[in-house]
Amino acid sequence: MEYKILMKNDIVKLFNDLTNDYKFYAPTKEKGNIVFKEISNPEEIELNYLNSKIPPKDVLFPQKETIFEYRYEGKDVIIEDRKDLDDKILIFGVRPCDAYSFKLLEDFFAFGKVQDEIFLKKRKNSTIIGIGCNSPRHSCFCTSVGGHPFQKDSMDLFLVDLGEKYLVEAISEKGKNIIQKLSWLLDAKNEDLQKSQELAKKSEESITTKFNFDLVTKILGDNFEHPVWQKISESCIGCSSCTFLCPTCTCFDVIDENDEYNHRGRRIRIWDTCQSCLYTLETSGHNPRPDKIQRCRNRIMHKFSYYPSNYNCLGCVGCGRCIIACPVNNELRIIIDEIIEIEKKEESEKVNA
Amino acid sequence: MPNPYIPMLTKIKSIITENEVNDIKTFELEFINKEDYKKFNNIPGQFAELSIMGKGECPIGIASSPTEEGTIKFTIKKMGTVTSEFHNCETGDTIGIRGPLGNGWPIEGLKGKNIVVIGGGFAFSTLRSLILYVLDKKNRKDYGKITVIYGNRNSGEVLYRDVLEDWEKRDDIKVVLTIDREEEQWTKKVGFVAAVVKEVAPSSDNAVAVVCGPPIMIKTAQNELEKLNWKDEQILNSLEMRMKCGIGKCGRCNIGDKFVCIDGPVFSLAELKKLPKEH
Repeated sequence: MEYKILMKNDIVKLFNDLTNDYKFYAPTKEKGNIVFKEISNPEEIELNYLNSKIPPKDVLFPQKETIFEYRYEGKDVIIEDRKDLDDKILIFGVRPCDAYSFKLLEDFFAFGKVQDEIFLKKRKNSTIIGIGCNSPRHSCFCTSVGGHPFQKDSMDLFLVDLGEKYLVEAISEKGKNIIQKLSWLLDAKNEDLQKSQELAKKSEESITTKFNFDLVTKILGDNFEHPVWQKISESCIGCSSCTFLCPTCTCFDVIDENDEYNHRGRRIRIWDTCQSCLYTLETSGHNPRPDKIQRCRNRIMHKFSYYPSNYNCLGCVGCGRCIIACPVNNELRIIIDEIIEIEKKEESEKVNA
Repeated sequence: MPNPYIPMLTKIKSIITENEVNDIKTFELEFINKEDYKKFNNIPGQFAELSIMGKGECPIGIASSPTEEGTIKFTIKKMGTVTSEFHNCETGDTIGIRGPLGNGWPIEGLKGKNIVVIGGGFAFSTLRSLILYVLDKKNRKDYGKITVIYGNRNSGEVLYRDVLEDWEKRDDIKVVLTIDREEEQWTKKVGFVAAVVKEVAPSSDNAVAVVCGPPIMIKTAQNELEKLNWKDEQILNSLEMRMKCGIGKCGRCNIGDKFVCIDGPVFSLAELKKLPKEH
């Protein structure tokens, strides 16, 4: 394994060396939040952050994206496919949980007979430079979903913040190529690796939010009709922040944006959410999930029951964004506790009986 | 693999008004690129995503049978934005189509079986496809007795009169038509579909029932079948749910961990009973 050192003030140099080959996305400060966006000036890069408000998922699966364009010639229609899917993308400064979300998204969009080539092509053409989390947030729980604040799978290059410098590790072939290109990177010393390991251990220990998701998945499988869903959904105001900020949520709506006067337009997809009553509302007026009980239940079931049964993994990366975002504090930690409580009650009833 | 959201292009070849109140029309489509027709290759019970560029896209069951060579047909009721736009279309207009989608009726599994088709109202389109398929010269010998029970609110709502007349003339298919209330000139059955199922009392012996229609009709007809000793595995339904992509990506047509668009739309009653009641 090859380890290198990137001095913090050399980030500009890294950007300049790579920006010609890639569309360079990085965390930046915008209106008090951290946002991943394409940058042209390395000064914009902000690496002193816990995590971005909107996950970097939106680089590859944006909130709104064209799926094709069309134009009318009389009654005939000419369709134009997207031409930008072969662009090389680099996403710099991705946290381990979000890097893992790219793997989940890739598995999801590749699932079934028909694959989502729009996402998969972009994913194939993207390079992820990730960074370990020295100080996870109170709401982080990646270690409960098989992750770790220093997990480097699903990344091409992995950085560890050592204060004045970053330890750089190539994970994939793509990552090795970048290290070769950045021939000016310094060699790492043993003490750098040691420090990195210490940081990893300290960081892992600082994560206090812990769930037993095996148990949760098992309980969910037997309790679709349980009255707990009434309680769980009671305070939900249906704002959908939890789903819009989730790095693994993939639901979208498809609409046409028509430029009637110029006889042309485009079909786009936009993020949608199972927390909206319109999401499942049928033209007849029938709605299979008419109330928030069903909608709140669907989100939890999808992540922790349907995902395990369809893809053999949880549909959650433990980033904790939904916990922070919930405006009524009806957040995942409370919901999971309620679900675990079902089993505890049953156990105690058995004992009492 | 190409962009899966790009439709193949077709032209409307003909439009037939199917009912008296003129809110159900059958559209016959012709592929602009003839190769696309060969690729299409649907089986009965599948659906497609139809679109009018600038207006939107919606899932519609395929009404034509693959045995009706060279043509594909869709019966569309004027309901929402896109379907209403279809009703404003003329022959020669360009329609986008993605498909065929979904699992369709199990035409292989039905081989050697007696088939009881129970349909109500406008949900008859994919049943039309199935019946035409099994009645086809090449296929007829593979299937047993065929019974069709088809109900409508009134005689003006009866779809596909031309093929129904053909079927009534044949001796290898039993067709029972019913309407909800008596009408002058109507010589066939009167009464709800469930009552007619009770009266016809189709045998469950080596048979499969294919049931499509409004939820209340499906429920009552299934109750009658259960009384006649039909098992849940022998009863097939085709579900409808709101859909966008039709390929298991946009998310909204899930019932539990299944997607109606890729795992369905055809489910046996036994399969449905295992899923949450969320459809």
